[in-house]
Amino acid sequence: MTVALFVALSIMLGPFLIIFFASFEPSSTLRFPPTGFTLDWFRKVMGMSMFQKSLVLSLRIALMASLLSLLLGVPAAYALSRYSFKGKRTIEIIVTSPLIIPGMVAGLALLRFFVLMQVFPIETTLLIGHTAVVLPYAVRSVLSSLVNLPVAIEEAAQSLGAHPLRCFFLVVLPNIKVGIISAFIMAFITSFNNVPISLFLSGPGVNTLPIVMMTYMEYYYNPSIAALSTLLIGLTLAIVLVAQKLLGVSKLV
Amino acid sequence: MKKYFLLIPCLAFLIVFFIIPIVGMFVDSVYQPEKGWVAQKYLDFFRQRLSRTVYFRSLWMSLLVTLVALLIGYPTAMAVVRVKNDSLRSLLMTLLVFPLMTNPVARTFSWLAVLGREGLINNLLLSLRVLDSPVRLLYTRGAVFIGLLQLFLPLMIISLTSALENLPKDVPLAARSLGANSFKLFTKIYLPLTSEGIVTGSTLVFTGCITAYVTPAVLGGSRVLMLSTLLYQKASVTLDWTMATVIAMIMFLSTLGVNFISRAFSTIGVRRWRRASG
Amino acid sequence: MAFLELVNLTVAYGKNPPVLKGLNLSVEKGEFVSLLGPSGCGKTTTLRIIAGFLKPIEGRVILNGKDHTNVPPHKRNIGVVFQNYALFPHMDVFENVAFGLRMRKISKAQIEKKVKRALDMVGLSGFENRFPSELSGGQQQRVAIARAIVIEPDLLLMDEPLSNLDANLRAEMRGEIKQLQQNLKITTVYVTHDQSEAIAMSNRIVVMRDGRIEQIGTAQDIFLNPRTSFVASFMGFQWLTSGAVESIEGNFVRVSCGEKVLTARATSEAKIKDRVSLFARPKKMRIVQEEMSNSFEVKLVSVLYQGETSLFIFKLGEKQLSVELDSSVELSGKSKLFVHVPAEDLLAVKEER
Repeated sequence: MTVALFVALSIMLGPFLIIFFASFEPSSTLRFPPTGFTLDWFRKVMGMSMFQKSLVLSLRIALMASLLSLLLGVPAAYALSRYSFKGKRTIEIIVTSPLIIPGMVAGLALLRFFVLMQVFPIETTLLIGHTAVVLPYAVRSVLSSLVNLPVAIEEAAQSLGAHPLRCFFLVVLPNIKVGIISAFIMAFITSFNNVPISLFLSGPGVNTLPIVMMTYMEYYYNPSIAALSTLLIGLTLAIVLVAQKLLGVSKLV
Repeated sequence: MKKYFLLIPCLAFLIVFFIIPIVGMFVDSVYQPEKGWVAQKYLDFFRQRLSRTVYFRSLWMSLLVTLVALLIGYPTAMAVVRVKNDSLRSLLMTLLVFPLMTNPVARTFSWLAVLGREGLINNLLLSLRVLDSPVRLLYTRGAVFIGLLQLFLPLMIISLTSALENLPKDVPLAARSLGANSFKLFTKIYLPLTSEGIVTGSTLVFTGCITAYVTPAVLGGSRVLMLSTLLYQKASVTLDWTMATVIAMIMFLSTLGVNFISRAFSTIGVRRWRRASG
Repeated sequence: MAFLELVNLTVAYGKNPPVLKGLNLSVEKGEFVSLLGPSGCGKTTTLRIIAGFLKPIEGRVILNGKDHTNVPPHKRNIGVVFQNYALFPHMDVFENVAFGLRMRKISKAQIEKKVKRALDMVGLSGFENRFPSELSGGQQQRVAIARAIVIEPDLLLMDEPLSNLDANLRAEMRGEIKQLQQNLKITTVYVTHDQSEAIAMSNRIVVMRDGRIEQIGTAQDIFLNPRTSFVASFMGFQWLTSGAVESIEGNFVRVSCGEKVLTARATSEAKIKDRVSLFARPKKMRIVQEEMSNSFEVKLVSVLYQGETSLFIFKLGEKQLSVELDSSVELSGKSKLFVHVPAEDLLAVKEER
């Protein structure tokens, strides 16, 4: 079992270490082990406007999609956790559908329906697609903290004179903070990393970072992407560590 | 009704912006007003040798990755669950979860440094004088396989870990006290009681493999076309929308099929478990 | 009209049998009424309707002469104490108790004063800045009570408030709650499945079963004169046998059971030929060596030592019978034994048709 653990960890994490070292390679081909040490690729990749622009776009889309998904998802999660009604099963299927429908399928459909038919510009469509994809994460995370919050607490607040809406903001919201934060983190990371939806929804000036990276990799075989990957992996690691410190890792998955 | 009121924004959003376009695209792939029934496109997909090969390659590859992930994942999950030290276990869990949160492009790119002409393996084999000149490891099925395995192994391990954690601690002890040896303990206790986790993990990995794009695109390229890369080719390179839609739909229906089969499996498991626990 | 009137309350979910079937109950001002019954009898449902958390499909709730049936809970001015306390985990004790006052837009100084007084009453002065997670179960329950009474509610509802406490604390809290209720003269509806709790605290007890009221009465009334077999068993009586009423002499009836004729006290008006069940309490039976009036032959099965007394388990025909006797009593399983119940302590309860 320890052997399996070791194998699993090395398959999953080994490449990260290799990419880390490969990003310091001074020559202009990707190689491992590296032949020297330089920070040039980091400097170069951070200075390239195509990466800068796409990073800004990716961050913007991820931020807006996460907020939008919480805005749509929190009320839905509340209704799903507190009430029983007809068609609940169907509603749950609809809410989780973005997890089941492959991203490429959704991306193609959105492209054909909204972009090619000129209903929305690409960026709006991209936001729609990302919001839909991260919505199930938001709902699931918020739902699980709502389920753990006894209904009696809300009833207590109401019996003490709090209007249901006030009760939500004064009593429910503070107690599902952890769920909302982890929903946000999950949604943000999922959107930021998304490829299949963004793949079809890109156009002049609208390219998310992962897509730009893929395109760049087709033409250049140098360590710049390694440097960028190292930066992204480091960023993710920081987020995961902070999140784990704040919420505990079990809350994130 | 107040209850539905809270659901309306979320449902309306998903139905209008997500489900209708997909259903619309499906309908369009079957029937077009100006052309009538075009469902034979689906038959064309299976008639063409290339797309047929790609489809079965995708299924086969997904199956293989799922099986290997299960073989590595199960003992790994058991090892993780056995770790008594809480902080060590949470560190392990973080390490296992972490790859899921990293950018898939960055994750896949790592393999270029391992499998590339001047990557780890070639350099290693050259310096050991096993090889005289570098071999091509990229753009092979093996490369796609290992990339997919890295990508989806965490999903399997996490599903199995939570299944193993839900297993009451004293059930294996009870089996031991009744005389079960390690093999029996595994086949009669662990496997049946974690069957749901196995099914869930396998479904996630399998459907993930069928639909993954980055890994086959970067590590397989056009030499090892998979369903997803073929779909992208049809849509972006040849602009054959109809065929792209057909491929997308076949991809979707395949994942749906896998989900249904696994649901059937897991409900059998659940029923058995319920019956056993009265 | 009584202070609280429940009129013909009916609750049902979907196609399931109704949870409440036309329940009627009046509670007078200042009264302490317990709803007593096993789980699933509808007692908590009744409480939730009074609080407004649940709407009946039929019937009305009238409080202080005003129809409250469609008033939402936050406009009812009813204090509720929950089984799991339901304290706000993100607020300290002070804020928990002040919550209801803040909703009522009361001045800061007033809030301080009222919260302090409420915490005094429940003996938690000085705990203002603790959080619920830092309190013991008993302390949490006191906070919950303070939070409910500080708003000076028209009605106090308590849903099994003591069921999560250990036995000693439970007995202590019973007394405190009762005292608090009497001092504040607050009308209280108390839900419990524990008969001794209901007996100790209530002015009146409502015994419920399957969404209906079985019997309403004072604690003594319920304890001494259960009118149905269900209430009798629930109050700790044991069924001995059944028979038909042969003759009636005042409160007493002669009941023929097979070849035996027994004398028993009727708990409700009985007519000749009525079928009745005979019940007795474990403490009210004696063991004799020879057959006499009102006696049954029994066989000793086992003895459970309880300290001062012991529970003697006998076999009476096919069923088991426990008799509580002084621990000094020594019985032999070999000799012939009879259980004797004085007519005063043998209850004849009319059987339901």
